[in-house]
Amino acid sequence: MANGQELLKLEGVSKAFERDSGAIMALAPTDLSVEREEFVALVGPSGCGKSTILNMVAGLLRPSEGRLTYDGRPVDDLNLRVGYMTQRDTLLPWRNAGDNIGSPLELSAHKTSKSERDEKIHRMIELVGLQGFEKHYPGELSGGMRRRVALARMLIYNPETLLMDEPFGALDAQLKLVMHDEIQRIVGIGRKTVLFVTHDLAEAIALADRVVVFSGRPGRVKTVREIDLPRPRDVFRIRFAPRFTELHEELWDHLQDEVNRD
Amino acid sequence: MATAVVRNVIAERRIVIVCRLVLFALLLAGWEFYGRFVSDVWSSRPSLILARLWTWAGDGLLLHIATTLTEMACGLLIGAPVGTLLGLVLGRLPVVAGLVRPIIFGLYSIPLVTLAPLLIFWFGLDLAPKVILVSIVTFFLLFFTTFAGVQTIDRELIENYRLLGASRSEVIRKMIAPACLAWILSGLKIALPYSLISATVGEMLLARAGVGFLLMYASQQIDITGMLSALTVLMVIGVTIGEAANKLERRIMRWRLLVA
Repeated sequence: MANGQELLKLEGVSKAFERDSGAIMALAPTDLSVEREEFVALVGPSGCGKSTILNMVAGLLRPSEGRLTYDGRPVDDLNLRVGYMTQRDTLLPWRNAGDNIGSPLELSAHKTSKSERDEKIHRMIELVGLQGFEKHYPGELSGGMRRRVALARMLIYNPETLLMDEPFGALDAQLKLVMHDEIQRIVGIGRKTVLFVTHDLAEAIALADRVVVFSGRPGRVKTVREIDLPRPRDVFRIRFAPRFTELHEELWDHLQDEVNRD
Repeated sequence: MATAVVRNVIAERRIVIVCRLVLFALLLAGWEFYGRFVSDVWSSRPSLILARLWTWAGDGLLLHIATTLTEMACGLLIGAPVGTLLGLVLGRLPVVAGLVRPIIFGLYSIPLVTLAPLLIFWFGLDLAPKVILVSIVTFFLLFFTTFAGVQTIDRELIENYRLLGASRSEVIRKMIAPACLAWILSGLKIALPYSLISATVGEMLLARAGVGFLLMYASQQIDITGMLSALTVLMVIGVTIGEAANKLERRIMRWRLLVA
């Protein structure tokens, strides 16, 4: 739940990519601010610049114009205060699940003693429900399990902000709900700020405090909606709540034009 | 059913091995026959070669083999790590790589064994010039395969690892090097036979020991049996190295299986 302190601020931030055929506008000038401990979902058709925003917040890309600040300071280098879970699998295939989860703690930025690391890995394995799979390599795990490993690896070094780019896009519907439940629990316990990109509107409403709908090519904010569903939410049943349906219909109206245009 | 199939496969393999041995024996017998009853002036014959190898064995053959193997091993131990390291580092520094690429490609365009005379002038008659030749050859092979390996790694993986807190050197040591291991091992596999080639070519030019020296010495005496004996030794070394390379290959395959 947001606590009123502004953590992330985009002021007129735009991004254009240079191509041989000329510059392509990925994101039109955008204003957006995210408060500490707020869960914000970015929804929109593909190619609307949602992932570009995450990349800029992580410091992997610079805005073409405008000002992007994190905790009051412009992001002009890698932002190590965020954890980033991308759509694609970025686990190290030659290390088993436990070692992958613990890998951030072996790096100079989060150097941790072996015993402490083992203890944290153990706790993370329990948190994401992977007991018994510590020694399995990513190639031996199912898609859902690999996502859990990636999630645990992001959480183990306790970044204050989580950037998630369609983290569960490739999972089946049931598994997605299980992961939603986990994410909600973990974010609640850890008091995290979350920027969550998805094109699944129901997922956005079920999880977020605020949903930002983007229009496509170049991306721009179309509408912003507070999600006033009480917490904690039962992600398995919330879809049947009348308020959920209302919000879904309202936001779908905005999103529909964009999806149809695609 | 299944066991029957397995038994068949094993039986077939046995038949192939037996056929190979028979073919090999026939070839040797034909050669021996020709040498004994027609002429052995230009072709020698297996029994003479065997006898010569026996004589050599009592007269420093092991020393010559050890010399060649030492040159190969030392050259590999210098060239392979340096090539791998430079491949990893330059792979991550596209600007520097662009700068030095013409130099490296220019040097590599020289058939490297032709550097041998120059190296002998610079470094003398003994091990040094051959070791340096082997290390230059293996350096390039490892450099190119490792460099190519680094290029195949997805940028997103590297960026993600940086965000997890990895410094630039940690990216190379803990992510890129292990990710390129299959490439590095393939490079080594190619480098092994090349190390034998460059060591012997160096010895043939000017040396006091080594299998290449034996070969050259025999040729100066127009000693066909001696030349063929030296070639036999080289073949045995080559086959042994080939087997080692195949073992390496199998490790690569296992690694790829694990990674895929």
